[in-house]
Amino acid sequence: MTIDQLIGAGVLAATLRLATPILLAALGGVVSERAGVVNIALEGCMLVGAFFGVVAADQSHSVVVALVAAMAVGAGLAAIHAVAAIHLRSDQIVSGMALNILALGLTSYLDYQFYGTTGTPSDLAGVPDIEIAPLAAVPFVGDVIAHQNAIVWAGLALVVLIQVFLFRTVPGLRLRAVGEHPRAAETVGIAVRQTRYWAVIASGMLAALGGAYLSLSVAHSFTDGMTGGRGFIGLAAMIFGRWTPVGALVASLIFGYGTALSFSLQGASIGDVRVPVQLLSTLPYVLTILAVAGFVGRSRPPAADGIPYETEGHA
Amino acid sequence: MASEPQATPTGPATAPSVRQPTAQWARGPAVPVASVVFALAIGAIFVLLSGHDPIAAYIDLFRGAFGSPYDITETLIQTIPLVLAGLAVAVAFRTGLFNIGAESQLLIGAVAAGAVGARFADLPGFVLFPMVLAAGIGAGAGWAAIAGYLKAARGVNEVITTIMQNYIVVFVMHWLLQNGPMTAPNALGTPASAPIGAGAVLPIIIPNELVPLTRLHAGIFLAIAAVVVFWFLLWRTPLGYELRAVGLGARAAAQAGIDPRTRIVIAMAIAGGFAGLAGMIQVTGVFHRVFDGFSSGYGFDAIAVALLGKNSPIGIALAALLFGAFARGGSIMQANAGVSAQLVSVIEAVVLFVIAAELIVRVLTARRRERKPLEAIA
Amino acid sequence: MIGARPERARTTGATAVGTERVPLLEMRGIRKRFGDLQALDGVDLVVNEGEIHALVGENGAGKTTLMNVLYGLYHPDSGTIRYRERDVRITGPRDAIALGIGMIHQHFMLVPPLTVAENVVLGDERGGPVLDDRAIEERVRGLEERFAIAVEPGARVEDIPLGLQQRVEILKVLYRGSELLIFDEPTAVLTPQEVDELFAIVRTLREEGKTLILITHKLREVMAVTDRITVLRGGRNAGELVTKQTTPAEIARAMVGREMKQLKARATPPRTEVILDVRGLEALSDRGSPALRGIDFEIRSGEILGIAGVGGNGQSELAQCLLGLRKVAAGTIRIGGIDISRDDPKRTRARGVAYVPEDRRIEGLVLAFTVADDFILGKQDRPPYAANGIVLDPAAILKAGGRLAVEYDVRPPNPRAIVANLSGGNQQKVVLGRELSERPKLIVVSQPTRGLDIAATEYVHERLLEQRGQGAAILLVSSELDEIRALSDRIAVMFEGRIVAVLDAASATEERLGLLMAGHTEAAA
Repeated sequence: MTIDQLIGAGVLAATLRLATPILLAALGGVVSERAGVVNIALEGCMLVGAFFGVVAADQSHSVVVALVAAMAVGAGLAAIHAVAAIHLRSDQIVSGMALNILALGLTSYLDYQFYGTTGTPSDLAGVPDIEIAPLAAVPFVGDVIAHQNAIVWAGLALVVLIQVFLFRTVPGLRLRAVGEHPRAAETVGIAVRQTRYWAVIASGMLAALGGAYLSLSVAHSFTDGMTGGRGFIGLAAMIFGRWTPVGALVASLIFGYGTALSFSLQGASIGDVRVPVQLLSTLPYVLTILAVAGFVGRSRPPAADGIPYETEGHA
Repeated sequence: MASEPQATPTGPATAPSVRQPTAQWARGPAVPVASVVFALAIGAIFVLLSGHDPIAAYIDLFRGAFGSPYDITETLIQTIPLVLAGLAVAVAFRTGLFNIGAESQLLIGAVAAGAVGARFADLPGFVLFPMVLAAGIGAGAGWAAIAGYLKAARGVNEVITTIMQNYIVVFVMHWLLQNGPMTAPNALGTPASAPIGAGAVLPIIIPNELVPLTRLHAGIFLAIAAVVVFWFLLWRTPLGYELRAVGLGARAAAQAGIDPRTRIVIAMAIAGGFAGLAGMIQVTGVFHRVFDGFSSGYGFDAIAVALLGKNSPIGIALAALLFGAFARGGSIMQANAGVSAQLVSVIEAVVLFVIAAELIVRVLTARRRERKPLEAIA
Repeated sequence: MIGARPERARTTGATAVGTERVPLLEMRGIRKRFGDLQALDGVDLVVNEGEIHALVGENGAGKTTLMNVLYGLYHPDSGTIRYRERDVRITGPRDAIALGIGMIHQHFMLVPPLTVAENVVLGDERGGPVLDDRAIEERVRGLEERFAIAVEPGARVEDIPLGLQQRVEILKVLYRGSELLIFDEPTAVLTPQEVDELFAIVRTLREEGKTLILITHKLREVMAVTDRITVLRGGRNAGELVTKQTTPAEIARAMVGREMKQLKARATPPRTEVILDVRGLEALSDRGSPALRGIDFEIRSGEILGIAGVGGNGQSELAQCLLGLRKVAAGTIRIGGIDISRDDPKRTRARGVAYVPEDRRIEGLVLAFTVADDFILGKQDRPPYAANGIVLDPAAILKAGGRLAVEYDVRPPNPRAIVANLSGGNQQKVVLGRELSERPKLIVVSQPTRGLDIAATEYVHERLLEQRGQGAAILLVSSELDEIRALSDRIAVMFEGRIVAVLDAASATEERLGLLMAGHTEAAA
């Protein structure tokens, strides 16, 4: 085991790459849960984003069209969850779970029907990397950030945007009020349901962007179930980051670093003992449980998170 | 029939508040049956859109599941873990807990059973089998009890804990089987453990002459026994009464001297025991070892099984049979009709979705009827 | 949803304060039904501009429902609302706010993690999409100065006491330019000092030309600050009075509609044997602040000790401590000489403690259970319900359920009925049947008749007196002073976590109790 394997530029660059899909899902979770809707369908939104991004890229040969399509389908899936959670007052866990199963079944089904057993086309339009020429020559820093994908930067920009939106704008204030105390929000004339719809739909778009990143920036293909639970790690990052965009970024980076390490330490050993790298991958989940249990800081969700809101008097 | 890990909401992390869906939502089988019919109709639309004949596809699905004695035994083999995992979800539900972790409880039960079965492979069956059984049930119970404890003592929403536990077990298994203590040198194509001892293997219960090549094993008796135990426990013992009381009215139970915190831990442990038994049966009855990708998402399908079966013993058995038939029939349908077996995931998702919307609407309207007048005029 | 948003009819300055009889608001024939319950049955309410109007009635009279209709939170089944001499349709709070109607809710509609200023402006932030904390705090400060209401605009609501939170509610309403302010039970959660401060604010508001509706059932407040009074009883009008020309007794008669039935209560004096002996009891509230600060009292066999006090002065915590539901921080609780202060509910119940909790739907009963199942709650592991404590005997449970249902007059007397489907009175009978059927030594009773009709109330009272006659010690917590005075042998008054006085029922006049409950210990002595 070497220092390079622990904090080399390669590991840090990989950390950013690996953190990005987690971050986008986590941002989706922040927006949705701050408005009071638990959206565990983020995993499914990612998956449809990944798949329909590939389909659109294949059909249109345009990255822009592909990303728009991916986010539109993610928004659509999230909208179904929104109807269930907000209008039908379904159990949000069951509904989200049903949509995850649906997303997995649907994408696998369509993948089989569209592309059979040969896999998705190899000449897909991919999301480009952003080369920062002046930095490329800088040692270390250049290796870490000079060749990152456009969506990595987009994710970082979204952290700032959403942080400002939530805590420095009027619509953000209203969204937080809806998630904390929807009755209070309603009594001052804020449209609770409408706010929640937009928040859930936005969360689906963010997660779908994360999915499209996986298929169009990283893998350049689609395989069944390729999101591999990143939507859930995103939720973990949201919780660990205490329902704030900046916190989610920090958590995503920690989780991404854990995964990057498990790659870089593959086959490494300390003395005679091989490093159990797979156990590093449990880091996000263990940390999240500890955080929620209050052993590592205290993580408290918005007060009305996950509770269907029932308007009075429409009995 | 695979599915993805699910979930994470978070109630206020204070006292162990329990959720409501344990109420007797719908009476009779009308809603579950309607949801399945509706889901099949949605599935048919997908088949149609992809240029196939839905009737033919469903006929293939049915034939694949029940077309021959052999098919029926294969369907039953799929059904067994679904029944047990379904009970694991239902016990928790009845206590007001949402156990998303049946998958990891099943896996850890399988790992424990596989480890004991391989480590003590030379022991005779009458010693080894009870050991393997206890290992599977105990491991599942202990693992699930962690989620119960965190809920009871620290107010941690069990949905979060059990989701996280699902992933933790997956990675721990990777380690155990790829380069950890359970890794067997010359196993299958996928990382796997050494085989368990012959004494722990569940026998095939149908003679080869009757149904050639059948794999149906004695685990089916354990599954049936578990359904009876589930019923007896919940409706014929004080503990079961207490669990149901906690599930339906935790504060009323608390003031009557039934401490919800201990009951939450016990309920999760029982749930984990059922799921661990499922894993143990898959090891001793079907695979005779543990390997990476051991469960095809039984623990997630179990949530649909429990909800579709309304958390009742018979309902769970029937729902598990339905999903078992989907799992078995789906692969035959894919081979014969060229319709992806993933269709059954779509159907399952729609079933869940309909039930989720329906039952909660019912619970809420019932609750509103009950509560509104008092609040309104107070 | 915004209906036709009516222009706010601007009144000319001359019609404001002091001018005679300008009806600002006229509600006519308002009906509202919830399920089987006719909460409002053709109620009228007329409020004149510039007055403080009391809307009084007992619990369940329909006061809050009527105001929720006015504020657009409930939609009436029929009836008309005229505001500033125009017919209006109020389909939601937005409409009400647009008309100039504001509501100070009993349960504050505040978002705890937000600041005072953010809460005040929420929904009507003005000044573009960017949130400028300093600007809104300035605006709120200006408002505070105008109406002489002080609260730090930058403080988080979750960090300030309830009395100040209520001011935030008032500021919210004033910020929206409301002319008609509805106060829903505003003093329920306040300390006496806070009540005085609130009334000072209320009078200032009237001087500023606002019109106020005060929902309350406390006659002292009605007499102290209001101009006119509308009395509701059972969802109907029961009187319109002018405060200066009426007396508390007259209002009370209108509210109750009859004299309280004289209970043939204390035929026998309490016995000498002390059942419950509490010394130096201290406990914390859910929030971790001291809720009980050293409580001493005892109850004898065959004695009812009433606990009077404004809600939130430690009564609930005391009941919970006696049952073992709340941790005792210091002191002892002895039942027949044995200290139970460290016991959990299972053990305290085994010592003969029974409990009729405040909220029967949440704490008293498992609503989804059958009557028979709810009767055995807490006894499920004992014979005859569980043979050997291992296996339940459904037949025995059903039989016992049927017997108790008849004995306690549960209607229908069907042990298989789901408790949720019973009326409130019958639900309470199920609780009584469970709690009283095993000859308890101590019965802790909290708000036993809340929300019940008269017949059920009398039934509950008779059952409690029967237990007294059989030698039980009873601790009765109630917010209904009449109930306490009618049933109790002695009355202890709780104030801020202490028992400030224990009176003989005979000497406990309403006035004396009222003064003690408000913390005026010397004046009442």
